[in-house]
Amino acid sequence: MPKCTINGKEVEVKEGQTIMEAFYKTEEPIAHYCYHPGLSVAGVCRLCICDIEGNPRPQIACNTVVTEGMKVSNKSEKIKDGVKWVLDFHLINHPLDCPICDQAGECGLQEQYMEFGKYDPEMAEHKVKKHKVVDLGPTVVLDSERCILCSRCVRFTDEVSKTSELGIFNRGDRSEIGTVEGKSLDNKYSLNTVDICPVGALTSKDFRFRQRVWYLKDSETVCNGCSTGCNVKVYFNKEGFFRVKPVYNEKVNGHWMCDEGRDIYKFLNKESRFTKGIAREKGVQQEMAPGALAKELAQEIKSKKDHVAAVLTGQYTVEEYESLVSTLVKELQITKIFHWVNNKESFNSFDGLLLRGDKNPNTKGLLNILEKYQIKGVWGDLESGIKNKSIKTLIVAGPENKAVFDNLENHIKLFSQVDHLVWLGAAKVDSLLSLTNKISIVPLKTFVEKEGTFINANGIEQKFKRATTVVHEALTLTEAAILLSGKNLTLPTAQMDRPAFLENKRRHDQVMLENRKKNEFVFKRGSL
Amino acid sequence: METKLLSEFYHLDEFRYLDGYKKHGGYVNLAKALNMPPQQIIDDVKASGLRGRGGAGFSTGMKWSFLPKNNEPRYLVCNADEGEPGTFKDRLMMERAPHQLIEGMIISAFAVGSKKSYIYVRGEYYFPVEVLEQAIQEAYKAGYLGKNILGSGFDHDMDVYRGAGAYICGEETGLISSLEGQKGQPKLKPPFPAVKGYLQKPTIVNNVETLAAVKYIIRDGAAAYKKFGTEKSPGTKLFSLSGNVRKPGNYEVNLGYSLNDLINNEGGGMKPGRKLKAVIPGGSSAPVLTAEEAMKATLDYECLAQMGTMLGSGAVIVIDDSQCMVDMLGVLMHFYHHESCGQCTPCREGTGWLNKIVHSILEGKGRLQDIDLLVKVADNMKGRTICALSDAAALPVLSFVTKFRDEFEFYVREGRSKVRGNFYAQMHH
Repeated sequence: MPKCTINGKEVEVKEGQTIMEAFYKTEEPIAHYCYHPGLSVAGVCRLCICDIEGNPRPQIACNTVVTEGMKVSNKSEKIKDGVKWVLDFHLINHPLDCPICDQAGECGLQEQYMEFGKYDPEMAEHKVKKHKVVDLGPTVVLDSERCILCSRCVRFTDEVSKTSELGIFNRGDRSEIGTVEGKSLDNKYSLNTVDICPVGALTSKDFRFRQRVWYLKDSETVCNGCSTGCNVKVYFNKEGFFRVKPVYNEKVNGHWMCDEGRDIYKFLNKESRFTKGIAREKGVQQEMAPGALAKELAQEIKSKKDHVAAVLTGQYTVEEYESLVSTLVKELQITKIFHWVNNKESFNSFDGLLLRGDKNPNTKGLLNILEKYQIKGVWGDLESGIKNKSIKTLIVAGPENKAVFDNLENHIKLFSQVDHLVWLGAAKVDSLLSLTNKISIVPLKTFVEKEGTFINANGIEQKFKRATTVVHEALTLTEAAILLSGKNLTLPTAQMDRPAFLENKRRHDQVMLENRKKNEFVFKRGSL
Repeated sequence: METKLLSEFYHLDEFRYLDGYKKHGGYVNLAKALNMPPQQIIDDVKASGLRGRGGAGFSTGMKWSFLPKNNEPRYLVCNADEGEPGTFKDRLMMERAPHQLIEGMIISAFAVGSKKSYIYVRGEYYFPVEVLEQAIQEAYKAGYLGKNILGSGFDHDMDVYRGAGAYICGEETGLISSLEGQKGQPKLKPPFPAVKGYLQKPTIVNNVETLAAVKYIIRDGAAAYKKFGTEKSPGTKLFSLSGNVRKPGNYEVNLGYSLNDLINNEGGGMKPGRKLKAVIPGGSSAPVLTAEEAMKATLDYECLAQMGTMLGSGAVIVIDDSQCMVDMLGVLMHFYHHESCGQCTPCREGTGWLNKIVHSILEGKGRLQDIDLLVKVADNMKGRTICALSDAAALPVLSFVTKFRDEFEFYVREGRSKVRGNFYAQMHH
């Protein structure tokens, strides 16, 4: 464990770690683009230069391994001046189109220039012209002029997704990122390249031009797209949710997430949700408040409890399962509870990186609770029960993210054979509204609207907090369970602990606000 | 006076073929070397003080001793990607004496324990490739290559690899990238090629002239070789003399030879009515010397380093008073801008920027502050990148602008060359 000094601060790093990692550890500011902790070292941006005592030439921090007693500093005027110039080299051919660039507001160039920049441009020549709006594939668009050729995206496709679609073509300042002719950037993790792009060169087709980032709030949560449970940030404002980005968690997802998971925000917005409780009988549809509808259903469930069964998907939190199952078993004595597996064939598949076949964030949590209450519902019993009419009322806690439930319609066909279907769920499923049997739909809150715990496929418990509320009237599954048992809702008393992984950690490739230099830029006449 | 050690028989056509080569003592030293312990050869090369002839001038024996001491397969690569503007010595050596290189390479490979070697030849050198391939076939037939060479139990295979004509592939890690089939881009050091090179295996990369000289160290012994040249720069070297002299060409002289003598004796002096203005002593990336400095210079690593320039690959470019320095810098900047691999930002953007500034001046659109800007940009490109191409582009700028500032200022003020009118504008409009 060698010790070194970074700008006078002593720090101990692991054997073989670089000066850059020591800088991260001490949280001393250091400019860099091409270095990314999840990728190999390229050493091409040349921004992380620093002085090492006893070494006449400045060295780059990302490729220099720390040795015992090393004294490193990047505070000298020589280094500061060098960084300014290297930043200027990055900028001389970079278009000044921040007002129309999607990255503006979260751009590496903007941020680092604020802190380390030269503020005195001397470039008076024409900029290099390169390709704009290059369609790289189904998800990503490239603007070569904005690209600073840090090669992060190329290394990502080589090392993480292992698909190697991207490369740098041509030489010198004509270099451009691109794909081989006839190929496109098309893999299940392609949008990570947009995240790691420090400038606005790679933009997501899904998000570009939809919202300025400074109008978005973000909140950290856990992706409910599959049982990996990647830690993510959801970005939203009063117009709804706009995008999802990964958050580093060494134990779960590292730095990455899959493209599928980035679509989860679409199921959170109002237009894809049930917003009102719907009671429909013999073709007559009645809309009412969700709470009132649930309360109304309580009477029926209690009276017919021998013929009531429940079907649960793995889409809800551990706390909700606990309250629902305990209510059903203890208060209503309903033990016909079944686990809805969405895709039996590929349920246990795993692509080796993040994507799992089990598209529920909390299957483990559900199974734990079912085991706790010794419930061993076999799917065949449900099917035969529905057929021989021993099950007349069916409570279904449906999927939130319906896109990943391939055989949703088949299941609905099965459920429609009961006399009364009580559908608890957030996602708007149109086929429910055309069923002929009696149906009551109680809209639920989605995972970003509540607190709770998911247990992922590896058994890691992840607590998350509420981000915002989209449908105010919707219930959580706990509230629905209380109402269905005939009780009234009381105000919540227990406060949840702040989840451990959500501790405010400084994002590595962002400059801390307090370190930012005041804007000293003065436009000088004739400086261009 | 030329000292013909390597180039003794270059004038003979038969020296190109195996029979002719053997007539003049060919492959005798290979047999001698194969009977020596490999470590002995490395020690001899170290003792001879042989320094890399490709440009950097690093001790060859030292480079060989950086190889890890294990049984890992290792490679020997001959760097024949001769791309430095002004250099044409390797081409002559490969065309006139392919077997001299091959023999030197087999000896070197035996010394470092390599079973496979490559000759990486510059893409434009089509004829040398043909000559080398023919010579390698001859050597295989005669048993100098292949299994159990001359009954010594040493196996060695050799291949020629044609580059695609990129200057950057003359840099050893760039060459290795290209040889591996990747884009020719230098790699981060460490790890150095001697530890992790071609296919992640230990690799030694040496210049054509360096490897050819090894044969003479075996033939005469280290002490005899050391008698040539100076104390710190032993041996002879081929200099590619070009530019405004009467007799341009390759001349082999002792290191430490006077630059004045090379120009005026071997080179036949300046053309009638012309005066020496400047000399680039070591290929286009070496800082330029003024006529005054050039008259005092001797051709060895130390003297030229002292004068702020370098011996480089030994390409002496003579510039007389009919040449415009702004024009010349324009040519050089175009070259470096074209050849930058584009990996490191200061070089990728800097070479383009320098090229644009110089061409703005050449087109008569220059501003006086552009001259200082050239210096500032070049200063900040120096020593900031993975390989030395950035330095190679920056050094000529710094020396041209500081030593011939009056010509640059004249060009900016008047919009035309001080030496030969508005020639550039006439050419391009």
